[in-house]
Amino acid sequence: MSRRRVDWTTVALIAIAIVATLSASAVPNWIRYLGQQAVSTALASVGVMVLLRAGLLSFGQGLFYFVGGFAVALLNRYAAISDAFVIVVVSAASAGLMAAALGAFLAGYRGIFFSMLTLAVSMVMFGIAIKVRLFGGSDGLNIGLMSYFGYRPRGSEGQWFSFVFCIWTWTAFAIATNIFLGSRFGRLVQAVADNELRVEFLGYSVKKVVYVAYVVAGILAGVGGAMAGLSARHVDAQFAYWTTAGDFIFVVLLSGQASVISPAVGAFALEALRSYASALFPDQWQSVFGGIMLAIVLFLPAGLDRLAVLAWRRAQNLRFRRGRLSAQESRL
Amino acid sequence: MGTLSAILVDAAAFSAWLFLVAVGLTLVFGVLRLLNIAHGAFYSVGAYVGVYAIGASVSIGWGTALQLGAAAVAAIAAGALIGVLAERCVLTRLYGHPEPLVLIATYALFLVLDDLTKMVWGGQSLYATQPRDNLGQISIGGLQYPVYDIALIAVSLMVALAVWYTLNRTRIGHCVTAVVVDSEISAAMGINVGRIKLGTFTVGAALGALAGALTAPKIAVSSGMGVEVIVIAFAVVVVGGLGSISGAVLGAVIIGLARSVTVHLIPEVEVFSVYLVMAGVLAVRPFGLLPPARARRI
Repeated sequence: MSRRRVDWTTVALIAIAIVATLSASAVPNWIRYLGQQAVSTALASVGVMVLLRAGLLSFGQGLFYFVGGFAVALLNRYAAISDAFVIVVVSAASAGLMAAALGAFLAGYRGIFFSMLTLAVSMVMFGIAIKVRLFGGSDGLNIGLMSYFGYRPRGSEGQWFSFVFCIWTWTAFAIATNIFLGSRFGRLVQAVADNELRVEFLGYSVKKVVYVAYVVAGILAGVGGAMAGLSARHVDAQFAYWTTAGDFIFVVLLSGQASVISPAVGAFALEALRSYASALFPDQWQSVFGGIMLAIVLFLPAGLDRLAVLAWRRAQNLRFRRGRLSAQESRL
Repeated sequence: MGTLSAILVDAAAFSAWLFLVAVGLTLVFGVLRLLNIAHGAFYSVGAYVGVYAIGASVSIGWGTALQLGAAAVAAIAAGALIGVLAERCVLTRLYGHPEPLVLIATYALFLVLDDLTKMVWGGQSLYATQPRDNLGQISIGGLQYPVYDIALIAVSLMVALAVWYTLNRTRIGHCVTAVVVDSEISAAMGINVGRIKLGTFTVGAALGALAGALTAPKIAVSSGMGVEVIVIAFAVVVVGGLGSISGAVLGAVIIGLARSVTVHLIPEVEVFSVYLVMAGVLAVRPFGLLPPARARRI
C-alpha cells in the first residue's frame, strides 16, 4: 500500500485547463469572456469555501476582490506595468497583506460576529472607494492591454491570451489551495468548525488556523479580482459592494464544498444565469438569485456536488464489492 | 454651549432611531439564536407601506395623528404578515442547522423581499414628508428641531417600555424568557416552544417594519436602504450584547452619542464612527457590554 494515491482533483484541474486552452480558439468570444468571469468568481469563491470549512461565513470577500482589481488598475495606470504575471503576483500580495492586517483583528471572532464584521469592513471600503478620486469614484478605472513576458498581443489574439492566462491562473491557484487543504495544517481548518476546544487540546492554535484561512481566502479573492479586472479591462467600486460577496456565497452554496473544482461549476452557472437574466427577467434578478439560494438551503444544503460525491462513492462501493466477490470465487 | 446642546439633542434623536431599528433584531436573536439579515428588508417594507399609508390618508383628508397612526398600523400588519410567512415557510425548517446556513437563508430572504419591494413600488425614491412638515419646529437651546424627530424619542422610549413590560411582567414574557434560557426544559414544562418562536419572530418583524414606517417621513424611501440598516442595527446590538434588550438601549445611546459627537466636532470620520465604536467595544468585550449569561461550549 505504499503506492502514492493519485490526486484526482489536481488531474482534473489540469485536464480542464488543457481542454479549455485547446478549444479556446474554437469557441465564440462571448463564451470565452463568460469563462473568464466564471474563473474569477470561482477563485474568490474557493476562498469563501475555505472559510466556510472553518465554519465561518464571510460577507466581506468583495473587499479583497476590490483590492485585487484595483491593484491591476493602479499599477497599470500609475506604474505603467502591463505584464499580467507581475500584476497577478502584486494583486495577490496586496490582497494578502490587507487580509493579514485585518485578520489580526477578525480572527478572534466566530459565527455572526465574523460575518457581520467582514461585511462592515467591506462596506467601509466601498464608502471610501466611491468618494476617493484615486479609485475613479463610482465610474471606476479603465485598464489597458496586458502583455505576457514582454509580448503584447492585440485584438482577438489578445482576447485569446487573456482567456488562457485566466484559466491557467485559476488552475494554479486552485491546485495550490488543494495542496493547502490536504496538508496537515489545512485539515485543521475543518477541525476548527467541528470542535475548537479539541483543536486547542491537540496543541494547535485555533486563532492561527482561522488567521491563515482568512489570509488564504483574501489572496484567492485578490487574484480573482485581478482576473476580473484584466478580463473586463475595467474595475469599479462595485467590486467591494456586499452583493459581490453575496455572489461568492451563492456560488459556494450552489456548488457545494466537496472540492476546489466545485466553485467553478457554480460560478459558470451564475455567470450564465446572469447573462440570460437581463433578457429573461431583467427586474427580478435578486428574487431569482435569492429564491435559488432558499431552495438549496431548504432542500439540498450540502450543494450540488454532494450528488457527484454520492455517485462517486456508489461507483467505488460497487467496484469494491465486485472485487471482493471475485476474490471469494477464486478461493472457492 | 450651543454645540453641546445640539450634540445632545442629535444624539438623543439618533439613539431613539437606532433603538427602534435594533430592538426587533435583538429580540429575534435572543429567542431564536439567529441573526436575521431579513430585518433590513422588514424595515424597507415598513417604510414603503408607511409612505403608502400616509399618502392615502393625506388624500382622504385625515389629520397628522391619523396619518401616522395609519402608517404605523399598516406597517405593523405588513411586517407581522411577512414575519409569519417567513418563519413558517423557511426558518422553522432550519432550527438546529449550522449557523452559516441559517445566515444564508435570512440573507436570501432579504434579497427576495428587497426585490419584491422594488417590484411593487418601483425603483424611484418616494417621499411622505407631510406629517413631519405639519408638526413644525421646536426651539431647543437656540436651535430649531423638527417636532417629529423629538417625538420619536418618546415613541422609542414607549417601545422600550412596552417590550420590557411584556418580557418581565406578563405570562407570555416569562414563557419567552424561559425559552431563551432553555428551550428543551421549557418544552418539558408545557410551553409551546414553536409558537413562542413564531410569535417572537413575528413581533420582531413587526417592530422592524414599524421602525421603517416611522423613519419614512424623514427620508427618501428608496430601494437598497435595507443593507445599511442591517449593519448599523447589528452594530448597536453587538455593542450592547446580542439578545439583550437593555443592551440594545445602551448600544443605541453609545453609538448615537458617538455619531453625534463626530458629526459636530470631526465630520471627516463620521462615516466610520459607528464601526470604530463597534470595533473598540468588541476588542475589549467580545460579547458586548451587557451580554446575557451563556454556557461554555465543550
